[in-house]
Amino acid sequence: MSVKVGIDFGTSNSGVAVYDGQRVQLLPVDPKNVLPEVIKTVLYITKDYRASIGQEAVENYYRDNVNRQRRYVKQWAGEIDVRGADMFYVRDIYVYVDELKPGRLLQYLKTALRKDGYAGTQIFERYYTVGDLAKTYLSLLKQRAEDVLGESIKAVTLGRPVKFSESPEQDHKAQEILRQAASEAGFKEVDFELEPVAAALDYEQSITKPQNVVIFDFGGGTLDIAVMRLGDPRTRQVYASGGVDIAGSDFDRAIIEKRMLSHFGLGRVKHQPEIIDMIHAIPDWMALPELGTPINKNILDKAIHAGTSPIQMKALQGLIYNDLAFTFYNRVEAGKIALSNESATIISLEDKDIALWELYTRHQLETDIQHYLIDVEKVLLDTIAKSGLDVIEIDAVVKTGGSSNIPLFTEMLVSIFGKEKVKQSSSFTSVVAGLAIKSQADKLI
Amino acid sequence: MSFTHKIDEWMKEAEARPESAVMIVKLVAKRLRELTERNEELLTENIALQNGTRVEEYQKRIAHLEYQLDLLKRRFSADESLLAELPTTSLETSTLSLLIYNTYGKIFRIEINSDLQALGRIVDETLQNSEQPRLLAIPSNEEILLLFTSGRVSTCAVSNISTVEIGNDWTWDKAAIPDEPRAGEFLACVMPISRLPLSEFFLQVSRRGCVKKTMTSMAQSVLGNHYLGKGALQKSDQPFDVILCQKKDLFGFVTLEGKLLGLDVNELSYSAEDRIKLTASDYVIASLVPQADESMLFVTQTGKVIHREQASLDLSKSPLAKGQTLIPPTRLEQGVRFVGAASVRDEDRIVILDSKGNLRVHSAGSITGVGSIEAEGLILSIGVIQAEAWKDSNL
Repeated sequence: MSVKVGIDFGTSNSGVAVYDGQRVQLLPVDPKNVLPEVIKTVLYITKDYRASIGQEAVENYYRDNVNRQRRYVKQWAGEIDVRGADMFYVRDIYVYVDELKPGRLLQYLKTALRKDGYAGTQIFERYYTVGDLAKTYLSLLKQRAEDVLGESIKAVTLGRPVKFSESPEQDHKAQEILRQAASEAGFKEVDFELEPVAAALDYEQSITKPQNVVIFDFGGGTLDIAVMRLGDPRTRQVYASGGVDIAGSDFDRAIIEKRMLSHFGLGRVKHQPEIIDMIHAIPDWMALPELGTPINKNILDKAIHAGTSPIQMKALQGLIYNDLAFTFYNRVEAGKIALSNESATIISLEDKDIALWELYTRHQLETDIQHYLIDVEKVLLDTIAKSGLDVIEIDAVVKTGGSSNIPLFTEMLVSIFGKEKVKQSSSFTSVVAGLAIKSQADKLI
Repeated sequence: MSFTHKIDEWMKEAEARPESAVMIVKLVAKRLRELTERNEELLTENIALQNGTRVEEYQKRIAHLEYQLDLLKRRFSADESLLAELPTTSLETSTLSLLIYNTYGKIFRIEINSDLQALGRIVDETLQNSEQPRLLAIPSNEEILLLFTSGRVSTCAVSNISTVEIGNDWTWDKAAIPDEPRAGEFLACVMPISRLPLSEFFLQVSRRGCVKKTMTSMAQSVLGNHYLGKGALQKSDQPFDVILCQKKDLFGFVTLEGKLLGLDVNELSYSAEDRIKLTASDYVIASLVPQADESMLFVTQTGKVIHREQASLDLSKSPLAKGQTLIPPTRLEQGVRFVGAASVRDEDRIVILDSKGNLRVHSAGSITGVGSIEAEGLILSIGVIQAEAWKDSNL
């Protein structure tokens, strides 16, 4: 027997669920995670092309990479034609490759789907398109779900943001890449549902009479909003939907840019553009791993030797060459999450050559992300206006996604709708639960 | 961003949410405590650097490393220029020697250069001073350390010990005496020291089960002063064996009446300590450092073999343990006693000395398979030839 599942392929976390008409079952696809029903959207591919996902990927990455040895070899990468007024010659291009690199960790796979100009990446000798990466992740996720269920999965309802991209062509392209990846991962039938609509279906299970509901799905990659009529499947209706590319990863980036870069020499290094470029690359999770070249090491060694902010330069060297980038981003994210409940927290990273310690308060976080609040409020009010409803006609606002827990945004929702209307659903599982309900909708209606 | 500015921001947080002030103070206090501890460490280090303690420590370490290098040079019979070329030059292959020694410091050395099973025969008294001779297989280019019952030590190159012909009959008056025991002392044991630079401790065990650990960083002083110590607490007790080991190793010793005691080397004290409760007639007859891929072999005087996996070695924490019983009481009453024990791999070979003086080689795999050893008389001693040494000696 084969079943149809709902999969939330999230920017930071994913999940799989099934619905039997009565009850949603969230599948424990990552037993190593604190919440086994939630699996990190990270993919680790080793040199011999073995892939792992979730906490296993993280553990494999730490085991193989942190404080490992490096050995750079010069490899021929290609050639370029050089043409002048009366001359033409061909020049060989070489790159330095770390031949001891045991594997690559990839995260924010969903962001890559909608990133214009990002077609894929070279992993050792193979080129992986964005679709290949999504396919690899989904096939392993499918395998795990099948192991839990003990039967094969033939079909899936995948969640998708309201807008992958502002451009309709890019939006369509991203969905088609995801559809193709799911097909290649072994799903014979693939359909999509908007993530906020899925969260609404989950919320609908808890209400007894029809309501006008705003779903505020604020996750790791995007903010998705849907204004819906819920409570009776026959009158269920999406009045309007909207979204914007603002979410958890942007806040992490803001924290790094505003609070962390000084630990790596920003403001102290003045006249060395190569080093300043390296420092400015730290918030970019795709650029940081690429900084680990012998040339950069030489530049940093020289700066340390010359006494140019040696402590900060050593920390920068440690961050780049001890493969601590992933740990660093995780610490920043953990600090941000902690501020949802606490008024102050510590973001720290202690390792060989690094002793980073930053007391970070909720006030500071709110200052750092204040400019996003205006955009978020605007998208929310625009979407409500598009629905034709007035704010007072909204019966409930349902928050979901990790970033929806940030008090700054909760306060904004409370100030617009009133405290009693703002409801919190399960941050990490309401979308996948709704997708599971949607996957069975055809059978149930 | 200046630190003052950061503090201003923390103050703003406290103003916006007064309850957060407690949290901020707690976090800052915790950091202050950590930094105070770190500061103390750095100050201590600074003092050590200023008063020269750290320099002395490094000088000692350098001296120890130079000594280890010297030992390695002697082992490979190499001078500086040869050492520099080590990666490209092949090491001289050595023959494998078997040493048979007694408490009077007399040593027969035979070079095992053939696949003979019968190595020869001692036609003299095999028991000297009521002690059976002991056996040690060792490459001919190595050095040995001789430990005497007084705690005195001396070293000697194996190649400096004259050889006797393999397959012949030997008498003790033909044996070499590289260092004659002084008045009142006997030769307790002989130990290879080629692995000294790579080992962390000397481990001594006495006849009555007293154990003492000494750091090999003291080796220069030990060998320079020719004294390691008896490693025994009681006056009547005597050193039985000394071996080299690492911190992570397990150490075991076996007694005549079939007790086996396992100890974690890391947890052993640097002072001599009695570790086992023995009956008046019992004493230690073998010690071993079994590795993960080795098993333990125990041999009785009648040739019965008991074979145990390394994992079966129970570690004792109690200062005076009774040990694991390997010989059942009924057998003990019948007079069964252990004469030797060793940690072996199946590919290794076991040399057996029997009461008729015969020296024969057996395969460890076949012995453990059959569960007994055939000999002309009662078995007196066993020795192990490791498979690697057997191979390296070009047999």
